Parts: sequence; C-alpha cells; structure tokens
Amino acid sequence: MLDLDALLNCFSATSCLVTQTSTGIIIGMLLFLVASGVTLIFGVLHVVNFAHGAFYMIGAYTAWSAYTATGSYYLAVLAGALSAAVIGIVFERLAISRVYKENLLMQLLVCYAFVLVADDAVKMIWGAEYLAMGIPAEFRVPPYRFAGGVVPPFYVFLVATSLAVAIACLLLIRYSRFGKIVRAAAQNASMVSVLGIRVPVYFAALFGLGCALAGMAGALAAPVRSMTPGMGLSILIDSFIVTVIGGMGSIPGALLAAILLGVTRSFGSLGFPLFVDGVMFIMMVAILVFRPQGLLGERAPR
Amino acid sequence: MTRFHPFAHPFARAALLAFAAFCGFLLVGAISPGTWLLDTLTGLFAAGLLVMSLHLLIGYTGLISFGHAAYYASGGYIFGMVLQTPAFVAACGPWSVPLATLLAFCGTGLFALVVGSICARLSEIYFAFLTLAFQMLFVSIIQGLVHYTGGDQGLMGGIPRPAFLGLDLVQVRDRYAFSAFLFVAGVLAVRLITLSSFGASLRMVRDNERRAAFLGVNTYLVKVLAFTAAGSIASLGGVVLAVFTSAAYPEWASWSVSGEAIFMIMLGGLHSFWGPLVGVVAMRIINDLTLLYTTHTEMAKGLAILFVVLVLKRGILDWLADWRKARHAAPSVKEQDHAAP
Amino acid sequence: MLRLEHLVKRFGGLTATDDVSLNFPAGSLSAIIGPNGAGKTTLFNQITGHLVPTSGRIRLENEDITGLKPAAIVRKGIGRAFQIASIFPSMTVREALAAAVTAHRRATFSLGSAFPRRDIADRTDELLGLLGMEDVAERISGQISHGDQKLLDVGLALALEPKVLLLDEPAAGMGPEERWQMMATVQRLWKSANMTLIFIEHDIELVFRTAEVIHVLRYGAVLASGTPDEIRGHPDVIEAYLGRETVEETA
Repeated sequence: MLDLDALLNCFSATSCLVTQTSTGIIIGMLLFLVASGVTLIFGVLHVVNFAHGAFYMIGAYTAWSAYTATGSYYLAVLAGALSAAVIGIVFERLAISRVYKENLLMQLLVCYAFVLVADDAVKMIWGAEYLAMGIPAEFRVPPYRFAGGVVPPFYVFLVATSLAVAIACLLLIRYSRFGKIVRAAAQNASMVSVLGIRVPVYFAALFGLGCALAGMAGALAAPVRSMTPGMGLSILIDSFIVTVIGGMGSIPGALLAAILLGVTRSFGSLGFPLFVDGVMFIMMVAILVFRPQGLLGERAPR
Repeated sequence: MTRFHPFAHPFARAALLAFAAFCGFLLVGAISPGTWLLDTLTGLFAAGLLVMSLHLLIGYTGLISFGHAAYYASGGYIFGMVLQTPAFVAACGPWSVPLATLLAFCGTGLFALVVGSICARLSEIYFAFLTLAFQMLFVSIIQGLVHYTGGDQGLMGGIPRPAFLGLDLVQVRDRYAFSAFLFVAGVLAVRLITLSSFGASLRMVRDNERRAAFLGVNTYLVKVLAFTAAGSIASLGGVVLAVFTSAAYPEWASWSVSGEAIFMIMLGGLHSFWGPLVGVVAMRIINDLTLLYTTHTEMAKGLAILFVVLVLKRGILDWLADWRKARHAAPSVKEQDHAAP
Repeated sequence: MLRLEHLVKRFGGLTATDDVSLNFPAGSLSAIIGPNGAGKTTLFNQITGHLVPTSGRIRLENEDITGLKPAAIVRKGIGRAFQIASIFPSMTVREALAAAVTAHRRATFSLGSAFPRRDIADRTDELLGLLGMEDVAERISGQISHGDQKLLDVGLALALEPKVLLLDEPAAGMGPEERWQMMATVQRLWKSANMTLIFIEHDIELVFRTAEVIHVLRYGAVLASGTPDEIRGHPDVIEAYLGRETVEETA
C-alpha cells in the first residue's frame, strides 16, 4: 500500500529523480493543455464543459488513425486538434449554445449526453479494447541523458509543443482582435452584436479553440498513454482539480497547478500508488477551504 | 378545534398512502406467477430510492449533486461488508440483516455529512464538480482496498443473509417484500421531509438563498442536512441492490449512474414530487426498447437525453401539468411557473 | 430607537456618507429623500450591516450595532424590504409568508409536523389580513402583479416582527393608483404593528402625505430634517430640487 522506501530511495538517486520528474512534467503539461481549454471556455462563455474529456479522447483516437494512415506524427497531432475543434464547434452550435441561458442542470445533462454518444461512437469505430500508439517513428532516436537519468526526446517535444500552443492561445486571447471581441462579448453580448459583430460565430470559434486544446493534448498523449473509450473521465476530473487549484480563469495558475499535480502523480505512483487520488483531493479541498480563488486566480467561487 | 380527520392531515395522508402502496406491492408479490415482475420491480425500487433521494437535493433544495451514486453504492458496500464479517453475524444472529441495514444507513449518512459539510459552502458549479470528485475518490478507495472490498470485482463470495422475522432473503418473494418495504419507507421519508417545515426551508433556499439568509435561515446548515438526508436514503437503494445481487460493485458509484439519475429526474418532471419515479419507469422502458433494436444503448441514451433537454425542455409530468393548465387558460396567459407541492 | 452618530462611509476617494447623525424615535414614521446619488441606499446598507461604516456609530435602543454581520442585525430586530422585490417565486403567497414566520419562530429544521404548523398558520392569516393580501394568498408569488410582489416583500420582512423596518423605495415601479394604495398600506402596517418605520422614496408628494418626519440627504450629508411642512418651505431643499421634475421610477 505505502512504499515510502521506494520513494525515499528515488529522492537520493538523481537518475530516478530525473526520470520521475520528467514524467511528472509531461503529465503536467497534458493536464495543463486540457485545463487551459476548460478555463478558456469557462472564463469567456461561463459554461463548464463537462464534456471536455471526450474531446481529449477524440483527439487521441483521431491522431492514432491519422498516424496509422499517413505515418506522420506531426500530421496526426494536427488531425487530433482539428477533429476536436470541428466536433466541438458542431456540439456548440447544436447543443451548448441552446443552454447558455439555462441553469446548470441542463448544461450538465447536455455534456453528459455528449460523452455517452462520443464514448459509444469511439467504441463503434475503434473497438472497445485498449489501443496503443507507441513512440512515433520520428522520435525513435536515442534518449537524452541528463544527470544519469533518461529523458525521451518525445518528452521534450511534448513539453515544447504544449507550452508553445498554450502561450499562443494566451496571447491570442489577450492581444488579438479576436480575443478582444470574444472577451467583450462575454461581458456584454448584446452590445457587441449591435456593433455588427456576429457574436454566435465568435462563441463557436472560442469553444472550438478550447476543444482543440483538449484534442491536441489527447494526440500528444497517445504515444505515452494507452487509449480506451471512457478515458476522458479521469482527465476531466484531473483538469478540473488543476483549474480549481490554479484558479478558474488563470492560465499561469493552471500551469503551476498542473506541474504540481503531474509531479505529485509521478512520485506518488512510486510511493503511495493507492493514495495518489486521495492526495490530490486533499490538496484541492485545502485550496477550496483556505484559498478559494486558487493559487493565482482572480475571483472566489462564492 | 376540529376532530382529527386522517385525510385532512398531510402527514397522516402520506403514511396511509405508503401503507396502501406497501400492501399493494405485497399483493403483487403474492399473486405474481413468475419471478420476472418481482425482479423488475426490485430493480425499480433500488433506482427509485436513488432518484427520490436525489430529488430532495435537485428538486427541492436546488443543489445539483453530480456524485450521488457514491452514497447509493456505499449503502450496498457497508451492508455487504458487515454481513460478510463472521463475528457480526455470530453476535447479532437473526437481527443481522436489520442491523446491517441500519449500519449502512447511518454509515452512509456520516459519509454524506462529511462531504456535504465541505461542499455546501461552494457555489453551484464548484458544488457539482466537488460532489463528482468525491464520488470518484470513493470509487478509487473501493478499488484500492482490494483486500476488504474485492476491488474491481466487487464484493465476492455472496452476502450471508440470516433469516429474520420469518423472512428468508434468499427466497425471491421474501427478498422482494423486503425491498418493497425499504422502498416505501424511503419514499415516505422523502415525502414527510418535503411536507415538513424543513421542506419549506429547502424551498426557500432553492428559490432565493439570499433572502432566506436575510430572514435568519442558516442556509449552510439547511444544505448540509439535506445532503445528509439524501445520502442516507440513497443508501437504502444500495441495500436493495446488495440483497438482490448478493454482492456490491464499484460500478454502482460510476458517474453514469449519477448522470442517469439526474436525467431520470428531469425526464419524469423536475417540478413534481412523483416526477422522478415516472422518470425511472420511463428510463427503463427506453432502455428495454433500445436493447431490442441495437446494442448501442449508450448512444441511444445520449440522443434521448439531448432530445428531452433541447427539444422538449421539460419532463413528462411537467409537460402534463402545462397541458392541463393550457386547457383551463385565462385569456391573458402568462408563462406558467411551477410549484413543487 | 435607532440612532446614527456621525456616520461616515468612504469608498476610496468618494465620500458616500458624510457625517450623518440622525435619530429615529420609537414608533416614528420617517422618510429619507434626496437626489440620485445622495447616499440613501448606502445609508440603509450600513444600518443592515451590508456595509461597514468608515467611522461613526449606529445604535439600536442604545446598543451599539455598528459593524455587526447582517444576520446578527436581523436577529436584533431590524427588517428590510428591497427596491427590487426579493421573494420566493415558486411558493404561494401564503406559503412564502408562512416560511418567513417559520424562520422567525425557529422552526426551520422542524420535521415534526406538516408545514405550516398550526400556530404559524394562524400568524400567517394575521399577516395576510394586515397586508390585505387575502385574495392573492393562494396565487404563486412569481405570478402576482409587481405591486403585490413589492407588498409581499414587505410582508416577508414584517414576518420577523422587527422593531425597525426599512423600506427601500416601496412604491418603485408602480403606477399612480398603486403607489397611493401601497403607501396607505404602509401607513396601516405602521400603525397596527407599532414599529419604527423608515422609508426611502423618490416621489415627493407620496412622502409629504405619508411621513411624519422627513430627512433630506444631499451628497451624502444631511441637508435638512423636519416635518413635511417645514421641509416644503425649506430654502436649501427648494434649491436642491429647483428645476427638477420628480422622476417616476421604473423598476
């Protein structure tokens, strides 16, 4: 149950430290991408996308198919992000946009319904067994050696890509015309539409962007995690925990929290595998009780 | 002072109805030829307890709990694990089953109290998410403590059910009668709560928490107590399932059970007391019908939910109420609001 | 009964309440008037505990209640009705009032008997009579007229048997006929419940006909206090309102 010896041994061996930390960082980056999508959608549209995990799943499976078909992993990542974006936009137009004004119950049910449909669709197309992509051909190169530990080059790619994409999104939302319009519309949609701007289009685009982040995360995760229909649920919970701890609406906060959680998971699976979830929960509850706005968040959830 | 007339007093009326229903169920149990009907009803009893207890939160207090199945499963697990302990059965003898039920009820109540105390301070979205998170934590604990709970496989080896009060729970009819009793007791409990002054407090919190607070109501405590009561009553559903299957499974606490429970409430009608039970039956019909045509029940369910939420926008009993009001509409018809009775 | 002593409230550089000292004797019916932005609602918010004064004291029956939490101030006996009626839309008028009485009688968690309890039901009937709302008692609160909703809002505050009742623009959003009915009801309630009543209003005629004492606020400070006749002829008040139409409030 508790293997604190293994944990302590790891702390004293740099090779283990490097391996575990790098694993923790990539888990964190994946969480960060997904959480950024959640925070983006919530911050602007004030809707909690409980179906977000399904887009992660869609991205992963699409990437697998794209890689199997074309042999190019870069295309696969693009395909993953794009498919999630397109499906996300369709979902937003057909379902989510109709419940913006409704209460949480309707929004929850709509998202739950989408997850059911998506999980079953994935099962139908790809089957119910576990699927694995393995490290793509582009990255089957000798690993980097760092302080006695091993760091697969793919990890570096994953971290770099995630950071780049997330920063790009942040800049987009803060400084571009698109970002400004979307943020203004979130505050006062009727005012913005009076200026001749088609607000629904912008909302759909934003939702699609949030889903694309999840889809990209799924595509990036495909080489290092096995896939199964229903894989969206645990990433959903984890990404929410990240958003809560980091602060709803704060992308830097999500990064900090995601790394923290990723590293906790990584070292935790060594030392206290059965309690990793529990530890993360306790961290989240502690934040909610003592610092409800999250580590770097702006407003308290009350 | 008027004479005590049973039909004038709401509590007495509810108790009489419960008694009549129980007798009706027993009658069905006695005359039913095969076991199919009884088994189906037992399944509906379990689901009924789950949704009616959740209705206390969603319909009456306005609290959207997305993790209610945890208390459902907890009831089954406590019941099963207690009865699988030889020392317990040896000590309690013929009272084992009733005591195990009581322990499941109280133990789950404690669990719900702890979770409720933490969650009730939070706003809607965080509340929904945190209840879901606690449910997942519950599942991971069950899966982790393999030695005690059987982990993924669930409680194995069957649950001993010593006979009590002349009932042998291995027999279908006795098992059915026990389940019917728990069902009627649970629904009666929910009914009495909604009829009481506490029930009015729940509705105040649902309608306008701020004003309720200005009237001196401790809205936090109201929410915590509602959550605890709902969790406890849900545990009875878990006990019914545990008796039925002679086991307990972590799937009973999955988010699809919680999600489906929420949908059943909406499907039947959020604004009436009996709505959720109508929803349970309707869901069962939908499930059975889709099974006839396809194995993709999840997708069918998802599409059904989207239809009800986006197109119909309200549940069966709500739709019926609107239709009846429209027939008696005054010339100036305004959008009707519903009161949960 | 209620005394404000040198109350000051500053928001950064803005002084919303400027050294306000007012006395409301027990059983009086007072009005607070003034142009928009004079700080009337801010004053109410400090009395009910939703804002903490920057300096100064608020005394209820000589007890210092400055800075207490709103719930505590409600318990001390200060009730409030709101500018925008804050009611329980799904409950009938009778149920809503009974629920408020239930809260007052500390039966919030009672499971012992059906709602409403016998004694609570009796008191609710009393309240309905006082408010003159017997004919809408069984209607659903969310569906009654705006004027009735405002009255219900007052009724909910009344259910707590407050010593002091604050009414924030009781006639707001009502048509000409309704406003007078509302103020007549307010007067009737005041006489029968024997409480200290303070109200904010924009309709000057309404105020002159209803209030015993009028306090005029301007830029957060007290401009003048007195009986309606005194205020009517007060040079400063006339200057403050000169050229201004009394604006019919829309809700």
